[in-house]
Amino acid sequence: MARYGMLINTKKCVGCYACRVACQMVNSLAPEESFISFNELEQGSYPNVYAEVVPVQCMHCEDAPCEAVCPTHATYTTDSGVVLVDEGKCIGCKYCMAACPYGARVQIEETGVIEKCRFCWYEGEPGNPPRCVNTCISGARIFGDLDDPESEICREIARTNAQPLAGNLTAAKIYYVR
Amino acid sequence: MRCNPTRRTFLKGTAATAVLAAGGACSLGAWQREQAEAAGALTSGPSLCNGCSSKCGLVATTRDGRLWTVEGMEEHPYSKGTLCGRGHGTAQWAYSDGRLTQPMKRVEDGSFAPISWDDAFAEIGAKVQEIVAEAGPEALAIIQDPRPSGKYYSKRFMNALGSANVYTHAAACNLSKESGIEQATGAQNFSVDFANTKMVVFIGRSYGDAIRPSSVKSLAGAAAKGARVVIVDPRLNNTGVFATDWVPIKPGTDIALLLGIANVLVTRDLYDHEFVEQHAVGFPEFAAQVADYTPEWAEGICDVPAATIEELAESLAAAAPACAIEPSWRAAFGCAYQNSFETARCVCAVNALLGSWGQKGGALLTSSPKAGDLDPAKFPKVPAPASPRLGDEEYPLALSGTGTNLAVLNGCNDGAIQGVFFYNSNAVQGYAQPAKWREALAKAKLVVTIDVQMSETALESDYVLPECTVLERLELPEFIGGKKHYVALRTPVLERIHPETKPCDEIFAGLAEACGVGQYFPFTVEELADAQLASVGTSLDEVREAGIVELTDPEFAYGVPTFKTPTEKFQFTSEKVGTAGLNPVIGYVGRLVEPAEGEFFLVGGKQGIHSHTMTMNLEALNAISREYGLERLWMATSDAESLGIADGDTVEVESSEATGQVTVKVTERLKPGVLFLPTHYGSTSPYLTRAQGLGINMMDFVPLHLEPKVGSVMSQEVAVKVRKVEG
Amino acid sequence: MVWGPMIAWYLFLAGASAGAFLTAAFVEAKYPDSVKMRVAGRIIAPVFLGVGLIMLMLDAEAGLRNPLRFFYLVMNPGSVMTLGVYFICLFMPVSLVAALLEVLRRPVPKWLTWTGIVSAFCVAAYTGFLLGVVQAYPLWNNAILPVLFVVSALSAGLAATSLVGLVTDRERFEQMWLIKKSHVILSAIEMVVLATMLIIVSAGSVEGAASVASLVSGEYAPMFWGGLVLLGLVAPFAIEGWPVFITRKVETSTTSMVVSVIGEGGVLVGGFLLRLLVILAALPVVYL
Repeated sequence: MARYGMLINTKKCVGCYACRVACQMVNSLAPEESFISFNELEQGSYPNVYAEVVPVQCMHCEDAPCEAVCPTHATYTTDSGVVLVDEGKCIGCKYCMAACPYGARVQIEETGVIEKCRFCWYEGEPGNPPRCVNTCISGARIFGDLDDPESEICREIARTNAQPLAGNLTAAKIYYVR
Repeated sequence: MRCNPTRRTFLKGTAATAVLAAGGACSLGAWQREQAEAAGALTSGPSLCNGCSSKCGLVATTRDGRLWTVEGMEEHPYSKGTLCGRGHGTAQWAYSDGRLTQPMKRVEDGSFAPISWDDAFAEIGAKVQEIVAEAGPEALAIIQDPRPSGKYYSKRFMNALGSANVYTHAAACNLSKESGIEQATGAQNFSVDFANTKMVVFIGRSYGDAIRPSSVKSLAGAAAKGARVVIVDPRLNNTGVFATDWVPIKPGTDIALLLGIANVLVTRDLYDHEFVEQHAVGFPEFAAQVADYTPEWAEGICDVPAATIEELAESLAAAAPACAIEPSWRAAFGCAYQNSFETARCVCAVNALLGSWGQKGGALLTSSPKAGDLDPAKFPKVPAPASPRLGDEEYPLALSGTGTNLAVLNGCNDGAIQGVFFYNSNAVQGYAQPAKWREALAKAKLVVTIDVQMSETALESDYVLPECTVLERLELPEFIGGKKHYVALRTPVLERIHPETKPCDEIFAGLAEACGVGQYFPFTVEELADAQLASVGTSLDEVREAGIVELTDPEFAYGVPTFKTPTEKFQFTSEKVGTAGLNPVIGYVGRLVEPAEGEFFLVGGKQGIHSHTMTMNLEALNAISREYGLERLWMATSDAESLGIADGDTVEVESSEATGQVTVKVTERLKPGVLFLPTHYGSTSPYLTRAQGLGINMMDFVPLHLEPKVGSVMSQEVAVKVRKVEG
Repeated sequence: MVWGPMIAWYLFLAGASAGAFLTAAFVEAKYPDSVKMRVAGRIIAPVFLGVGLIMLMLDAEAGLRNPLRFFYLVMNPGSVMTLGVYFICLFMPVSLVAALLEVLRRPVPKWLTWTGIVSAFCVAAYTGFLLGVVQAYPLWNNAILPVLFVVSALSAGLAATSLVGLVTDRERFEQMWLIKKSHVILSAIEMVVLATMLIIVSAGSVEGAASVASLVSGEYAPMFWGGLVLLGLVAPFAIEGWPVFITRKVETSTTSMVVSVIGEGGVLVGGFLLRLLVILAALPVVYL
């Protein structure tokens, strides 16, 4: 069984928001609702400055706090490691929103359900690749199987020493090149 | 109903659909049950984005006829399989609640009332004929931001009426830069061979902010291969992630940096002798002049250390010819300063000294395809207008293809222009100071705007004609040049949402008929597109199916190109520039406005999700601006500290022309003494409910003054004061 | 902020409900004659919890639109919220039956009271653990918060019940020294626990310090000092503490009654504000 994850290379991200809008379209989200948030960071001081944009979305944690606290089991993990929300079980209590260390859970106004990135999951498989990866203009995103050492994502993680945002706090499956 | 694709067109399945199915892309994303149930109703078709003038190829997928997703077209040289944020955002335009849905006419109290197409055409036609009778056709003008159909139909319409007054937005975009490059190289633009470059210097331009996906990919590729990427900009822009160097510079003084580099190359004999001797004219005069422009001199003007200038020159020389100064676009010398034209010439001069023209990794001049001659029986030739275009005499260096649209503003004021048409152009809000445009247009007898929304320009018009949006219309073929040649097509992938909107070709044909020149439009857009495509060896059916077709290979080869200048050489001196009354030899020109003590430089720039002012009201894109406070004015941390301003404070900005309040973003990414204002904001149209009142419009603050002989708007020749607004 | 006033109301009402039930049990054991106060406590318990649960459901919008989904709430015993549902499922009927028996003037069986006492404690504690297990927020994720919530719940339940006693059966109420002493002691404990929590949270992390700063000196300072500390803790402590520990005499004046009502009301306001402030002021740890 595959174990899906993503790599986001902030050294290639120009902050164009293509991933956000593509994601909104494929998921039929309202303009104000987004599964991806962007954090603009500045390091150093003029004129020695480094600026980066860090896109944040559901990390599909192996130790997912949102799943742990979800009282209805609406949040669950598939065999291939993708954390999903069963809309039919979600009561919208927002406990998952509080528990997620990445602020990745989003309430959908229309349904009240607390949604999130689902790696464009559809009919038992994630997107190949998910839309945010598909449309990234600079190739800053790579999607693939973390259990396949020959996959592009595994090679890039090894080459760039990419790390999850919060170390091994939640065994997150999105790796960042910083 | 030319905007409407037939159902059959969808169902027979395009090449793009086949690609989608093969790649499994149709299974992307959707999880909701209803989506699964509706999956059978998914259809895909190719078209062209209208998010900016790049017009990238896209593949749109509809679900039960409603747009669901768009993807970048793999085969298109600009999108290369991806689309930027505004590509996705503008694709949704058809459903925006800010659209014009029917023709509007300004009534006596100044408000707008609906009018039928027939009445609008008839009334406009009558007024046009009245103006022609009284003042001649040269009292008419059209301004347009070129789009595949618009650039053809607007010019044909105006010329058919007997007027040569056809202008683009260029005077507020890239006129100076293109004109400068033309005087040096004979071409209006060039490209950097990123795949092979060792070093590239960007002057003000940011691929990460004014996005074309292929450019970002090329730069990312070059950076990954270890190319040195230098960003010369008072602001560390969003391309910074790819940069090896950020060289903060005093705004409007890039010319000094370039001349300083040229000085080092010449005086230390680091230049390409063969190129300069064999392929250029005027080098001795240039060398004599450039001797004075020492790095120390340059430092005094542009505030970049002389040592940095020397090092850049030496590194460029070491990398030559696989290096280049990037040509830029609007950015720092498209239309910004009194010296923008000359700055563009200096860029070309440095590339010439490096011998990088046409070389692997250097600055490339490539060719573009165009449609061949068409059957004059079917597509009658329009006689050339008798009078020259207004403004060409005063601004001889304005490009023949663009002119300076500010001649229209001046023409309205002195009565030379009495009827103005705008197509896909929000001139009032973006091309010069809005107050000046309003004042001028108020004097015209007739102002007609064709747009998809009630822009600030539409608000100053007597008639507003609604076009259908990008994915609802078929346009003329778009020819794409470069190392390879292509032709692509904007095809309708959505049924027309609002029945009382029309595509540009129908609007111009209707206007022409009403104005008495309908005989020049006896064809449909399909017939014209098919004829144009047949002239390059393909057909409407083929391009419609595929979205893009590669044309005969121009067989690009590296090597010094043929310069299409009058001298057929690279021109360090230009006779035309001399005739215009400027220094024929590439040299130094200063900026016009210098901030006084306590004043700031004000520079503008694009953001990746917006295109001029036109995208500001789009739901998906406006939401991003609001969520991330993108309308904020950037201020350097040290300036903010000395003025007692904190991040998020509101300040009042004041120039000689206007005052306005805006929120501040305090940042280390800006040269002290400089303010950066994104140039999309400050809409005043009450019809654009999301855009109205968000941020301030930079053009309000800039005095109306034109770059001598070129006619650009000098959009950054301004100094401002800033003070904190208490409470 | 993830949650808002709705959830603050729920946490407050659920805690006060538990506190009221415990107060009633205490009154029954120590002051069998104080019928009115006991009955008041018995009735307050299910009513407060019922209103609180309505608040909770109003906040859970997806469930509100599809009420059958609330049955899934029992699915994840690993979630504190599910545990809370178990406790409420026990406490709600128990308190309801007890109240009903009181209204019907029937005796409440001992086993029922004891079941209620245990489940009431569980409910009070759960409201604290609900937030306490959320690692993302330092203001919540500490061992003291559940203690604070339990103390506050007891105090609020006691105050709500006392308010009824004070108004309907003052003579007896003024004689209930144990009740009054408990009140003062609970306020004192709450002050100490609150201070301890803020100091520890403030020292633990940047976000914790920022949360505490927003309470004691930032945007929530007026509500914190005026509402929670002064009205909710110091005033009741002084108002009850004065007759109980200093003058040691039974008050009968109307003035003293008004003052007492202010004191009891203050505890209730403070109990609500504590939860509201803890919810609003919590800042997440940011991983970037």
